[in-house]
Amino acid sequence: MPTRPRLNLGRHMLPGLAAVALFVVMAAIFLRAEFPDALVETVGFDGSVTASIGYALFDLTGTMDGNVEGVIASDGFLAAFEIIDVVLVAALVGAVMLARREEGGSLRTALADGGRRLVGREHGEATTEESADGPSFADGAAQGSADGAGHGPAEGPGQSPGDGGGDA
Amino acid sequence: MAIAPEYWLLVSAAVFSIGLFGILTRRNALIFLMSVELMLNAGNINLVAFSYYYGNLTGQVFSLFTMALAAAEVAIGIGIILVLYRNFGEAEVTLANTMRW
Repeated sequence: MPTRPRLNLGRHMLPGLAAVALFVVMAAIFLRAEFPDALVETVGFDGSVTASIGYALFDLTGTMDGNVEGVIASDGFLAAFEIIDVVLVAALVGAVMLARREEGGSLRTALADGGRRLVGREHGEATTEESADGPSFADGAAQGSADGAGHGPAEGPGQSPGDGGGDA
Repeated sequence: MAIAPEYWLLVSAAVFSIGLFGILTRRNALIFLMSVELMLNAGNINLVAFSYYYGNLTGQVFSLFTMALAAAEVAIGIGIILVLYRNFGEAEVTLANTMRW
């Protein structure tokens, strides 16, 4: 029978007080800081932000003064653009390599497949065992919508429409 | 009328602290990764806020690069969580506590 989720409060949340303390310290510093008034008065952008981001990515903002009506000043990011390209390709290759299936090594076999245990190994502290389908077949009626235990009661109502169609 | 810059800094500090709280207290590896993402996005809020107040686009473009770095890190992180699940049966950060010998 499903129960509602409970909030897990306990001793393991004590290190979280460090995060709360950090927020209090940062809030005290930020609320006391003085920002120059000229900074606060002239806010906002005049011109196209998206187009200017595009020019900034390729370091073209300096050459567009007379040609485009609204180019907002920015630094050039061409080197960062190329480097992030390399980083993303490396991340993709790394992710594919990490997610590969086993090729013979025993430590890389999948331990479970949707709850059904595949490899008969014991691991230390894992407690969720949904693969105990064997002993629970005896209480098939009490399981309700368990994997294999619902076949018996489900076939009963399925036969009566067929019987009614055979009569007509 | 624009929002004063200290309020943007406060929002960024709040999001950063929530991410730090998640890293320090959660055991599930995926929630851990979500908290890391929260911290990275807090830095991005700061960058964009100051870019707005200076009228210069450098902060916004740089925040795009940090967002791309966060995406690359999440890709590798999910690969690591996958290997963790295959070896230990659970995706929890407290399980891998010994080195191989």
